Formats: sequence, structure tokens, C-alpha cells
Amino acid sequence: MAIEQTEDAAPTTASLSAVGVFKVFGPKPDKALQMAAAGEPRDEILRATGNTVAVRDVSFEVTPGETFVVMGLSGSGKSTLVRCIARLTDVTRGRVTINDRDLTAMDDQELREVRRKQMSMVFQHFGLFPHRRVIDNVAYGLEIQGVPREERHKKALEVLDVVGLDGWGDHYPQQLSGGMQQRVGLGRALAVEPEVLFFDEPFSALDPLIRREMQDELLRLQADMHRTIMFITHDFDEAIKLGDRIAIMKDGEFDQIGTALELLANPATDYVREFTEDVSRIKVLTAWHVMRPHAGEAIGPRVGVNQSIDEILVVLLGAEDAVGVEDLSGELVGVVDREAVIGVLDTES
Amino acid sequence: MTAPSTTDLTGIEDGWTQRYGHWILLVIGVVALQVAFGWVEGFPALLDHTFSDPIDDFGRWQQSNRKSHWLFTGLFTPLSTGVGWALDTVESFLLWLPWFILPLAVFLAVARSKSLRLAIVAGLAMVYPGLVGLWEVTIDTLALMTIAVFFSILIGVPLGIWGALRPRAEKVMRPALDAMQTVPAPVYFLPMLMLFGIGRVPATFATVIYALPPVVRLTTLGIREVAGQAVEASEMFGATKRQTMLKVQLPMALPTIMTGVTQTIMMALGIVVLATLLGAGGLGQEIMETLSLRRTGRGIATGLAVVAIAMVLDRIGRAAVVTDRASLPTRRTAFIAVGGLVGLTIVGFATGVTEFPEIWETDIFDPIDNVVVWVRDNLSWLTRGFNDIVVGEFYVPVRDLLTETVAWPVLMFIGGWMGWRIGGRGLAIFTMSMMTAIGLIGMWALSLDTLTQVVAAVLMSVAIAVPLGIWAGRNRRVEAFLGPILDALQTIPSLVYIIPAVIFFTVGVIPGIIASVLYAVVPGIRITALGIREVPEESIEASQVFGATPRQTMFGVRVPLAAPTIMAGINQVIMMVLAMVIISGLVGGGALGFETVSAVKRSDLGKGIEVGFAIVAIAMILDRTTQAIADRLRPPPALH
Ligand SMILES: Nc1ncnc2c1ncn2[C@@H]1O[C@H](COP(=O)(O)OP(=O)(O)OP(=O)(O)O)[C@@H](O)[C@H]1O
Ligand SMILES: [Mg+2]
Repeated sequence: MAIEQTEDAAPTTASLSAVGVFKVFGPKPDKALQMAAAGEPRDEILRATGNTVAVRDVSFEVTPGETFVVMGLSGSGKSTLVRCIARLTDVTRGRVTINDRDLTAMDDQELREVRRKQMSMVFQHFGLFPHRRVIDNVAYGLEIQGVPREERHKKALEVLDVVGLDGWGDHYPQQLSGGMQQRVGLGRALAVEPEVLFFDEPFSALDPLIRREMQDELLRLQADMHRTIMFITHDFDEAIKLGDRIAIMKDGEFDQIGTALELLANPATDYVREFTEDVSRIKVLTAWHVMRPHAGEAIGPRVGVNQSIDEILVVLLGAEDAVGVEDLSGELVGVVDREAVIGVLDTES
Repeated sequence: MTAPSTTDLTGIEDGWTQRYGHWILLVIGVVALQVAFGWVEGFPALLDHTFSDPIDDFGRWQQSNRKSHWLFTGLFTPLSTGVGWALDTVESFLLWLPWFILPLAVFLAVARSKSLRLAIVAGLAMVYPGLVGLWEVTIDTLALMTIAVFFSILIGVPLGIWGALRPRAEKVMRPALDAMQTVPAPVYFLPMLMLFGIGRVPATFATVIYALPPVVRLTTLGIREVAGQAVEASEMFGATKRQTMLKVQLPMALPTIMTGVTQTIMMALGIVVLATLLGAGGLGQEIMETLSLRRTGRGIATGLAVVAIAMVLDRIGRAAVVTDRASLPTRRTAFIAVGGLVGLTIVGFATGVTEFPEIWETDIFDPIDNVVVWVRDNLSWLTRGFNDIVVGEFYVPVRDLLTETVAWPVLMFIGGWMGWRIGGRGLAIFTMSMMTAIGLIGMWALSLDTLTQVVAAVLMSVAIAVPLGIWAGRNRRVEAFLGPILDALQTIPSLVYIIPAVIFFTVGVIPGIIASVLYAVVPGIRITALGIREVPEESIEASQVFGATPRQTMFGVRVPLAAPTIMAGINQVIMMVLAMVIISGLVGGGALGFETVSAVKRSDLGKGIEVGFAIVAIAMILDRTTQAIADRLRPPPALH
């Protein structure tokens, strides 16, 4: 059922890094780079040279199995950045590596090899192929690799099952709802068992309920597969929910990189603070942050150590006693009582 | 955002000269030039034989070397033989098939789109030519069509792909394709005649060239339109350029490409029918012969056969553009359909039912002759009156004014002035150089004659098309009623329009003008209606909120906003009228049209090419001018 059939095999996951990446659109990139290095603002550079500095001196590292979220408002350069990292466009300056291999220096042949074996992408507007049935959409990457029809269909059927589209293989994508279409997009990316997955605002085109559902789905899948993920979003809540670490992007630059809590506790710039101010801590703090050791008292239902306070809240309101907190293996590691949660809610207001 | 400066004030004072200065310039220029050059007669045709003689020499040379020179023995003759063979094969295959196979195939091809009624109508339309005894002639035409369209696709699709992949190639191709579409079809006959002699083969090649642009254009467009994310998704899986093209871009572009192919087919039909001028036979020749024999009934019957074929091809084309894959029949169904046709063919031969049964001949249309004669005699007060007004009051005076009274430097000046006012210096220079070229090769007077007829036809077309178009654009019911009729009319090849015109006006300038109007009015209405309908509803409502009357909304908002599109419609009208110039020449329109026809008939290549050039030059001037007007009417582009 899981994507990886042999559980003990070495984790098929990779590290990703970017060093000093710039991307400039327009006629005179050299001049614009100079000005950017001199710290001129984006508007000024555009006026003087006609160039847009879409990505400006971005560096980061993503460790194997980590979910790295880039969050920023419209026009901040997120798409451009992820397209640079995936080398759908060439960087103007800087280096991108995957497993310490320089992606920016590869020729077409090498790049194709890497793409076939190591990475995949899920697009905001799905980028599905309307002339292929769902199963052939999912099998596309394998087809490109030359996997025989029977084998790739077998694999595609498995993947359809994993992304919850069992039985939809013979439909055409446009006959499916938006959420289901993005499941096809996800399945298509997963079918090639990539080490690195890129997501460019994959859920932005979906309505809120479906979006939540897809986020949960992704968390569930990631818990099994531990891929390296670079995820783009303009929704801070989504960033908190999915990201191990979050980068806040503004005008082509990273303002800050850190875990949700770090951003919340120590916003590096006013811009970051503006975002974090709107976020309720109950979404960020988890059971782990507020639990106390179990002292043998009676406990009600149990919650996971990674569940956020707002999720625990519902459980707690329906329970007589404090709730138990268990870790991933199901062992009791502590309890959360009403006082602890009220404490968090108090600082909120 | 700069503060208003004092120049604004002086601007008001200068306003008068600024506003009327160029008009004054025009008047002074015209008067002065007319006074100075009024005595000049005609344009000095200094280059009269400069180009036509070498072409004629080449024509004579190729006639005597046709059998020996490598260019012919090695290239054109084998090409010609090959295409001739292909034509024969297709034709004899279609004639060999039991007659009912073709209508059935048409039925199945249209039924693909799941519309049974349309499929039945199309199938029956395919039977019609046989019923009136025109089966073989029709097959003749269809064979020529098949081969020409095959070559158009074979050349056009790769060119289109190339254009989509290489923006620079597209930059070169686009003006070439534009130019190809401004050239009236029969002009292509001349060079083909030179290379391939007379007959069906040059007709095929002329058709291929003429019908090429839509496939190329729409292939490029279709591939460009494929969503960027789909292409990127393919690239992200490590697909090669070739894999992405074959597995993603081409299949996704297919509906658009098929639209292009349908357009190509319709254009090919138009010119194949005209190809009678090259001795290609088929339905076109039939129409021209019967018309000149005054067998109106048979002419109508043949014309209807052309209309039927046009409808059939159009329907098949539309069925092929169906985009919703899920609703298409499966491969198995298609297989069964083809198998069924093969089976029926065998049955046909087994039972001996292969030739189209001779039910009726065109004789059944002969009574129409009498009706037509009666109508013509009894309506002559109307037709003759119309004729007298248009010819006596407009055509003759204007033509004489242009060719006899006004000296050529004056016309040249007016042309330059108009170009300058409308499109700036570039257009002025272009107009004047084209006019000079026309004059130098000795086509001045003929061109002005043609221009006069064209203007008459355009004025009449616009007078009909724009009001009707505005009406249709505003009134959904009118649109719903006119739409299908216009759709059908638009598929009818130009030559057919000559039939009613000739019936009522016999020969002369008028039938040509009438046919041109009939032909050109349709796109005029269409595009005008489109322009009116496209005006954003919000702009209309904004106007209504201010309490504008419907009339104020119409002329204050709708018409101005639709003006660029309406102008594009007028441009289309002009191009269609020009395409009819040569056909008008067939029925006594004189001028350039007649010269083309007679040049083709006499194989007078030098003259033919000169005339062709003059027509193309007029077309290009009018095309650029109307497009420049449309550009000026367009609101400035939004800021980024
Ligand atoms: N191909 C291009 N040519 C020129 N400028 C571009 C191009 N692509 C993006 N830009 C510019 O780069 C900047 C960043 O765009 P980008 O699409 O990366 O932003 P984004 O953060 O993904 O925004 P959104 O949320 O709207 O997707 C914008 O100012 C945009 O106009
Ligand atoms: Mg984006």
C-alpha cells in the first residue's frame, strides 16, 4: 500500500541546497545584478534598467526528509524561486545542488536524468494532460523513462489507490473535481518515486475545505514516505501546518528562515512580525509544548504529541478529565489539562 | 502628472492651424498639382515591358525546353507526373467504390460528434450531386481537394510546429502568410501555369499554396496555447523536447490544428472550384460552361452541388474538432465502422450495385430556365434601374474622373496624404511606392477602373453589413436566426455567388459587383455583430446608470468600443471584394479581372503577372490602410 515497497531500503530522499541564487528578468541582467548587489531596491532597479529582480541572493538548505516551506505574498518571487531550484528556468547567478551535485551546471542530458530519477513537481493549476486518461497522466513519468505499458499501469494503479483515486483511472482529468484533479497531480508526481518533491501553491486553487483535506492527505503521505519537500504557499496557516521550517520571502529575498515557533518567538523583521501577529499561537503550539508529566491521575481520551492546541481544545472540551498525550509509538508521555490550555489562550489576547 | 505648462495655452491658439493644417495642405496640393499637371495623360508606363518581356521569354523558353532541360525533366515534370498519378488514383478509387459508401462514410464521420440529425443531413447532401447527374464531376473535384489538402497538411503542420518552436521563424513566416492571404487566389495560378503547364496539376499546387496559411497559423497557435504548466510538467519528468512535442503539445493542440485544417479545406474548395480557369475540370468548369450557355437551371443545380459539398466538408471538419475526449466513440466503435464500410463495399460488388443509379439528370432543373427568363423579363424595370444608377451615376463618372480628368501626380499626392494621416510616414511611403510601381508597369488606368468597382462593392457591402451586424449584435433573437444562415453562407465558395448575380443582371460590371457584395457581406455582418456583442457588459451598465438612453448607450459606448472590431470587419469585406475581382472579370467586369482571365486563357504570362501584381498591390494598400485605421480606433493599451 505504501509507496515504498521495501520498508528497510535506504531512504530514497535527498538534500537540496541553494547558494546565493539570483534571478533577473529583462534586457540587462548584469547591470541589474550590480545594482542589486549594491542594495538598490527592486523598484529602483526596474526603473533604471527595465529588469525585474525576482529572486535576490537566496540561500538555504533542505535536509533529507524535511519539508521546507517558502511563504510570501503575491509577486514576492516564490514561483520564480522554485522554478530556479527545479531548473525550469536558469538562475542568473548562484548555485543549486541536489545531493551535492550542481544542478545549475548540468547539461540537458544530465538534467533529464536527474529529473527522471530524483525529482517531481506539483503545479498550482495542476498542469494535467486533458488528452490522457487519469491513469495515463499518473503513468506519464514512467512512460517517459521507457517503462513498459503493463508495468507502468500497474504502478499507476497502486499510486491511484494511495492518493485516494481508486477506480478513477479511466476517466479524463477534466471530468474530476478540482480536489481530485490535484490528487491526480500528486499521484503523477509520486509515481516516479522522486527523492525531492516541489509544490508550487498546489492547493491555492482549491476551496478551503478541500484544501484542508489535501493538506492532511499530504501530511499522512509524508509521514510514510519522508521525501524532501520544497513547498510554496502564500498562506501562513498552511506553512505552519506543513512546514518543518518556513522561509518568509519578500521582494525576492528571504527575511527569515526558521520553525514556526522560532518565527513566532523571534520575528526577525517587521514584515515577519506582521504575519505572525495574525496567527494564533494555538495553531502553532502543540501538545508537547504545554503538557506536564503524568502524575497518575485519571485521564480521558488521548491526543498525539504533535497535535496543535486548537485540535486538542475540541477533545478537551468534550472530556471530563485531562487528556493524555502519546508519542508516535502510542506511549503515554504526559497530560494536558484545561489550565495549561487556558494559559495559552490568555497570552493570546 | 506634470503641472500644466504654458504651452497648453499657446496650444489653444495654434489649435486652428493644427487642426486644419493638413486639410489645407491637401487642398493646396491637389489644386497646385492639378493645375501644373492637368495636361498629362495617363501614367508614364516606363517599365511597361521591362518585367513582362523576360517573363514571356522565360515562358517561351520553358515551352521549348520542357522536354530537355533538367529543371523540368528532373523536377517539375516528375512532380507533375506524380501528382497527376495521385489525382487519378484517388479519383478512380472514389469512382470504383459503390456509390453509397461515400455518403455513408460522411454520415459516420459526422456522427462522431454525436449529432444524428446533422449526420443524416450531411449524408444526404453527399447523395445530392449523384441525384442530379453530377456524380463524376463532383468526384473529380473531391479528388483534387483530397490531394491538395493532403499536401497542405503535410507542409503546413511541420511549418506550424517550426513556427511555434522558433519565434524567429515565426517572425519571418507571419508576414509571408499575411501576404499570402491578401493575394487573390487566381493570382497563384499564373506561376503554377508557368511551371506545370495547363491542367489539374498546377491547379493542385495553386490550391496547396493558397490554402496553406490556416493550417500553419493554427498549428503554431495551438502549440503555443498549450498550458505552460502542462509542458513544464512534462519537462519535470525528464521528457526530451521530442517526447514533450509528441506526447503533450501536439495532442493538446490537436483541436486547434483541426480547426485550421477545416479552414484549409474550405479555402481549398473555394479555389478548386475556381481552378476551372486552369482547365482542371470538375464542378467549377461545369458552372462556368452552363452559365455561358445560358442553361441557368443546370447552373443552379451545379451550384447547389458545390454548396452541398461545402456543407459536408464543413460538418466533417466540425465533428473532427470535438475536444471532449470522453464523449468520443471508442477505438472499437471506429474499427467496427470502418469494417462495416469495407463489408458493404464487398456487398455492393457482390450485388452489382456500384454505379450511381441514373434517377434524374440535371434536366429536372430546366424548367427553372423558363422561370428565370420570366423573372428577368418582368423584373427588368428593377434590375435595369439599379444597373443604371450604379453604373451611370457612380461607376462611369468616378472612373472617368480618376482616369481622365485628374492627373496622376494628384492621385499620388492624395494617396500619400491619406497614408500619412492614417498610418504615418511608413504607410505614406508604402502607398506611394505601390502606386508608382502600378503606374510604371502600365497598369494605372486598369487599376483605377478596378478600384472604382471595388469601392462601389465595398460601400454597398458596408451599408448592408454594418447596420445588420449592429442589429444582430444587440438582439439575441436576430443573432440566433442569422447565425446559422451566415455560417452556411460563409462556407460557400466564391464562384457560386456569381450564379444569382448573372441570372438577374446577365453580364457587365453589375453582376460582378453584386456577387462581390453577396460574398463580402457575410463576414462583415459576422464581425460587426461580434464587436458589438464583445463590448463588456459593465461598460454598458455604467452608461445606463448615468441615465443614458438606449440610443446614447449605443452610439456613445457600444459603437465606439466596437469600432476597432467593426473596422476589422470592413477590412475583411475589402479583402473579400478584392478576391472577387477576377471572378467579376469572368462575367464582364472588365479591368484587371478580365485581363487576368484573358492572360490565363492565352497563357500570356508576362501580362498575367503584371496584372496579378497590380491586384496584390491594391490589396496590400487597402489592407494596411484599414488595419491602420483599426489600430487608431483601438483604445491605448493598459499600463502594466
Ligand atoms: N517570465 C517573466 N518575465 C518577467 N518578469 C517575470 C517573469 N516571471 C515572473 N516575473 C516577475 O517576477 C516577480 C515575481 O514573480 P513570481 O511569479 O515568482 O511571484 P510569486 O511569488 O510566485 O507570486 P504569485 O503568488 O502571484 O504566484 C513578479 O514581479 C513578476 O512580475
Ligand atoms: Mg506563483
